[in-house]
Formats: sequence, C-alpha cells, structure tokens
Amino acid sequence: MKNTKSEFISARLAWRNIWRNKRRTILTLLTIIAGCSMIVLLNSLGKGGHDQMIEDAVALNTGHIQVHEQGYWDNMTIDYAFEPSDKLVNYLDSGPDVQAFSERVVAGGLLSFKDTTRGVIIQGIDPLKEKTVTNLADKTRPEGRFLKPGDTTSVVVGKILAKNTGLIIGDKLAIISQGFDGSIAAERFTVVGILESGIPEFDRELMLIPISQAKETFSMMGFVHTIIIRLKDVSSVNKVKSGIIDIISGEETRLEVMGWEDLMPELVQYIVMDDVGAYIFDFILFMVVAFGILNTIQMSVFERTREFGVMLSIGTPPGQIVSIVLIESAIITFFGIIIGIAVGWAGGYYLQVNPIDYSSYTEELAVWGVSTTLFPAKVTTVNIFTTSALTFVLGLCFSIFPAYRASKLNPIEALRQL
Amino acid sequence: MNIIEADKIKKTYESNGLSVTALGGVDVAVKKGEFTALAGPSGSGKTTLLNIIGGLDAPTSGSIKVDNVDLAPLKAKALAEIRLTKIGFVFQAYNLIPVLTAIENVEYVLLLQGVGKKERRDRSVNVLEQVGLSDQVNRRPHELSGGQQQRVAVARAIVSEPAIVLADEPTANLDQKTGAKLCDMMRDLNEQKHITFLFSTHDSMVMERARRLIHLIDGKVVKEESKGKK
Repeated sequence: MKNTKSEFISARLAWRNIWRNKRRTILTLLTIIAGCSMIVLLNSLGKGGHDQMIEDAVALNTGHIQVHEQGYWDNMTIDYAFEPSDKLVNYLDSGPDVQAFSERVVAGGLLSFKDTTRGVIIQGIDPLKEKTVTNLADKTRPEGRFLKPGDTTSVVVGKILAKNTGLIIGDKLAIISQGFDGSIAAERFTVVGILESGIPEFDRELMLIPISQAKETFSMMGFVHTIIIRLKDVSSVNKVKSGIIDIISGEETRLEVMGWEDLMPELVQYIVMDDVGAYIFDFILFMVVAFGILNTIQMSVFERTREFGVMLSIGTPPGQIVSIVLIESAIITFFGIIIGIAVGWAGGYYLQVNPIDYSSYTEELAVWGVSTTLFPAKVTTVNIFTTSALTFVLGLCFSIFPAYRASKLNPIEALRQL
Repeated sequence: MNIIEADKIKKTYESNGLSVTALGGVDVAVKKGEFTALAGPSGSGKTTLLNIIGGLDAPTSGSIKVDNVDLAPLKAKALAEIRLTKIGFVFQAYNLIPVLTAIENVEYVLLLQGVGKKERRDRSVNVLEQVGLSDQVNRRPHELSGGQQQRVAVARAIVSEPAIVLADEPTANLDQKTGAKLCDMMRDLNEQKHITFLFSTHDSMVMERARRLIHLIDGKVVKEESKGKK
C-alpha cells in the first residue's frame, strides 16, 4: 500500500515537473517525435522498396521457387532436365500457398538472321500458364504480341537483341542448338513480339518460344528444365520449399529446390547492403533521441538539486527520487513516441499511396537486377513496435544515470545549492 | 525524558590539507516538550550540530541519540526513515516543493509514511489551520509570501507529530514582524501540542522567545540558560 502511494506521488511530481519548463519539454518532445517519425518512415521506405524489388524481380522471370535437376543451376546446360512426377505436379496443383506454376525448357543456342549471328538463351514457356507466374507478357512492346496458345514457331525476342540483329516483327530467324538427345536442333521462327523487361541481361539474350515447340525442337521427350512457382505470399517460401523437398525425397531423379534468395543473390546482396546503411542511420537517430532525453533529464535534475536535497532531508527514500526522475523521462518519451509514430505512420501511408518515383535511375538499378522504379513505403507493425520499444528502453536507460545521481545527493550539499 | 542526547560531539572538516573544527566536543540534552534555541554567531557550529542531530551529517566522534535511537551505526536508508518518522525539519529558505500546493507539501510527509488518504487530508487541513493558512491550502509556494511559505514548512514539519522539530534559522529570511509572528506560532504549538522544538538562531528577538538557550561559540557550548514561561 505504501509503495502504491509513493508511486502515485512520484507520478504526480514527475508530471508537474515536466511542465515546469515547458520550452525544454517541448524541445525534447520534438527531438523524440522527429527521431521516431524518421526511423518509422525510413524503415517503411526500405521495407516497401525491398518488397517491391523482390516482387518485381520474382514476377518478371524468376518466380518465388524453382525446381531443377540437381546441377542445372550451376551448369545451365540442356543435359540437366527432368520429368516432373505426378506426385510433384499434384502437390503444386493443390498446395494452398501456391498461386501458380509453369514448366520451362531452357537452352542456349545461336540465332541467325541475315548475315548476323548471336548467342541467345531460348526459353520455352507455356503461354497461358506463364501469365499466371510471371509478367513477361506485360513486358512485351505494343507493336507486337506475346505468345499465345496454338503458336508453334512464333518467337518473342529481347529488345536489345532485336536492335543488335535488326529484327522486327514479322521477320524470320533461325536458331541452331543441341538437342537433349545430342542431336542437332535447328528451327526457323517468326518474330511476333519484342520483350522490353528493363533488365539488360534479358533484353540482350532472351528468346521466348512456346514450350510445345521447344520440346519438339530440342527433342525433350517429356523432360523440362525448370518448374517455376509463384506463391501467394513471399513469406511462405521456406514452407513450400520444405513441402516440395518432402515430396521429391523418394524420387529417383535428384532435384534441387531453390528459393528466390538462392536464385537472385545479387538482389539479396543489394537488400543487405541497403539494410546495413539503414541500420547505421537508425542507430544515429536513436542516439540523437537518447542523448536528447539524457540532456533534458540531466538539466532538469541539475536545476532541482536543492529540491532533491530537501526531499532527501525530510525522509524521501532514495529509491523514490529515482522513480520520480525515471517516471518523468518515461512520460516525455511515451508522448514523444506516440506522436512520433503517428507522424511516421502518416508519412509512410502517404508514400504507400504515392510511391517515390525512381524512374530516372532505371539504368543504375538495372545493374543490380532491379527493374523497379516506383518504391512504395510499407509501414509494418514490427517497425512500429521495434521503434517504440527501442526508443522507450533507450530513454529509460539514458535517464538512469541522472536519476541515480539525484538519489545519491548529499542532502547538506544539495541544500546549499542556489 | 531526553529526546536528544548528544555526547561529546566533535566534527572536523578537511579542507586543502587543513583540519577545521566545527564542533569541539559538544554535550547537549533536550527534553521532551522543550522550546530550545541554539544561539551563537555565524560559524559557531549551530547548523552543523542541527545537521548531526537530524541525521543529515555524521559526527567525527561522539554519540548522538534521537528518541533513544543511536544514529551512529545507521546507514543512509535507515537515517532517511528516522528523519521521516521522528524528525521534522524547518529550513532557513522555506524549501517547499515548488510543484506541490501548500496542502500537498504538508501531505507529502504523511504520504511517505503510508497514511491513508482521508486521514492524510484531515491532518494536513488541521495543521494548516493551526498555522493560520486554512484559506491558502491550494496555493503553490510561489503564490505565497515568505512568511506564509515558512508557515507551510512548519506545518509540514509538525504534521506527522515527530519526536522533535529542528529549525535552522527559521526567521532569517523574514522581516522582524513576520519572524516574530512565526516564532510566537511555533511557541504556541509547543505549548498546546507539546511538540519539542530545537532551533538555531542569532536573532535576539528569537532568543527572547526561547525557553532555553544554549550558547555556542567556536564549536563549544559556552553557556546554557533556562527561562520560565512568559
């Protein structure tokens, strides 16, 4: 009972002391508000930007998960193909986390047009299923079209490849490669579309043909090189990967299951580097807030040395002096956090609705495999909770020293202070 | 019965390698219900002696007992408890808590003692009435005159009915008339409620009102005199 009352008087004293020097309290509040709101906003921009970059990269050509024969990803030759089992296909068909999946045949080859020859990557895709897994169809330039069911020797070529070889819609080209069975694979195709993905590597080398034709041209005999899987949510990558590994564990063919992080290490590297920069900036902001609180509490304690001397003289336990100072700090920090989070959230929401446009940096981003130009913010509860909790804990930690100092004052010396 | 028993109290301070004696073996005994003044010029050791009796400072040697409790072996926390329960303080510069109203300043001590809300409020109102401030209970210190602030300080000192009230030059910051009124008020409280007062002063007006005078010069008791009731 005595403790409850003591805490009550501590809270009352702390609350009134906060408003003794309104200007200082408001300045401290502004420091906390600015710090918290900036941390929330910057982390929201980072999170939203990263999610968008992952989503765009996944949606363009990679998918969230790919299944190949063991060794395919390292060697990328036509020899590493597999025949998808019914069990695997059924699992992907019925998996609650799987949005869609599509098979691909992929081969390297030589493109020949007029007197020009180029090395290319030929990607055999299912025109209907591919649209549910990637947005390659959306990246086809309007003067042509994407592949459609029923197409046989139609081809969509990358924009830079078309430019370098002089190909236009309607042109006929020839490809020469090696078949899965070791035979010569050669075929003539008609250009029906130009792909403009924004990723130089794709636009320079990629050719898209119907998978049915690819299987025939490359003598695949029912084999494919890749199953590309799009999930409903990126967070279920590991869960679905484990599910697939369980399904294929008993199969004769050894398969590799790779998530987007394995498939796009350069993107992961970019995100990690970006996160490190953000953490450093967060740390600086947290320190600014913490030292702002320390400065205020320190000054407040210094100005009230005599008052604490009186309180100690008339029998106030030192622990209660600590409580008063810490509650004071907690109140200022709490209100600063509430307002700061609200401001940061509002800013984050605005930038979620009105994303920042980086279209003038398209080429620089493309170097990292990033085709994203609109970066929306994304305010998450983790961001809000972490920022609030860290600011509050730092505020209290940085107030412990002045609080302890106040409680250890010598009453006689404190009473002599003006 | 002695409320205060100070036996051969010595206090020396070290300053720049020099030893300065503030108290040179003081024996003081104060009985319950006394209204006693420690008189002497500045530097005579009055405040030092009050601080030691109040458990705010420790003697270099000698023993001090307040209400039969030996203060020498007590640690800071226990001394704080003694100050809270057995001693009331009145300081020269009022020293009220500026963010609390008059009644809250008085209540503060009772609150620390864990007294219930109603009793706390009743007792605080009561002592503020006794010191003539029943119409100023909700004013903060800066809204009160020096004399009124010192009355609140006296109310704060006596509200918990301590064994003794120690007052360090309580009238030093007041004009003669206000100081005299405060002194009369303290003496009335001493007579009516039998509260023991020990205060330091070098003001002749205050000395006149004391029933017992202990004269200190250069850290030693040089004279003691008792006076009957006026």
